[in-house]
Amino acid sequence: MIPQSHFLLLGAALFSIGLFGVFTRRNAIGILMSIELILNAANINLITFSKFSGNPDGTGQIFALFVIAIAAASAVVGLCLVISIYRNSKTILVNKINLMKW
Amino acid sequence: MQLLSSHGLSQDFIIKATFYFAAGLTLLFALLVVLSRNIFHVAIYLAMTLIGIACVYLYLDAEFLAIVQVLIYVGAIVTLFIFTVMLTADVDTGSMRVMIGRVSVAALVSLATFFILTNVITMTTWNAAAPAQEPVSLAQLGKSLMSQYALPFEVISVLSLAALVGAIVIGKAEKR
Repeated sequence: MIPQSHFLLLGAALFSIGLFGVFTRRNAIGILMSIELILNAANINLITFSKFSGNPDGTGQIFALFVIAIAAASAVVGLCLVISIYRNSKTILVNKINLMKW
Repeated sequence: MQLLSSHGLSQDFIIKATFYFAAGLTLLFALLVVLSRNIFHVAIYLAMTLIGIACVYLYLDAEFLAIVQVLIYVGAIVTLFIFTVMLTADVDTGSMRVMIGRVSVAALVSLATFFILTNVITMTTWNAAAPAQEPVSLAQLGKSLMSQYALPFEVISVLSLAALVGAIVIGKAEKR
């Protein structure tokens, strides 16, 4: 039997790795990928608590499904924005995009 | 399984060994996602990480979530990422020298977050004697999705529709 805290530690490690990626990536697509890692860390925690809380109706799994749906929607809109920015300014490096920076 | 048991390996040991192997592989690929320089390789590593997380879901008795993870994330979202990488041929990585300051600050912040979370998780006393309950069945999941969580389900449907329409509007080519 694997203890509950080991799943939570895996989630914490994935979250920290995703956070590092969000801070260091210059490519907008790389930032979106790191955000997907963070959302997956949240999902691992939700499903872990669903299994170990003793609640039989699977609320945590349903919330994980909602998180997956929202992640898909955000990825679609985010990548669409990236393509639109690339079409207009020929770059997707976030430190070169300063159109609305004062 | 019986063959392995006859060689002196208990089922518990096999479960533990495979879980820690899968978790370690997942973390390794996640590190490659944030450290690799080539954005196309990053997309492949992301797919590997997501498959590893689907394996972790199997250890949590969430078979349906594991299947959904592979279908939606690996099948749809990573494909979308790969297409976007191909459409925006901008693999300029820049010089490493200007990055050093930002990398050290980012490493400091994320390591601090990790240590705080680790301390919180290890200091909390989780109810170790969790009741050996039945895993949530797919029928149970569908029932509560259609009865107790019907309203959030509809809201998610509207959100998906809005994302679809928004993606088409933003991505539409401008008229020349």
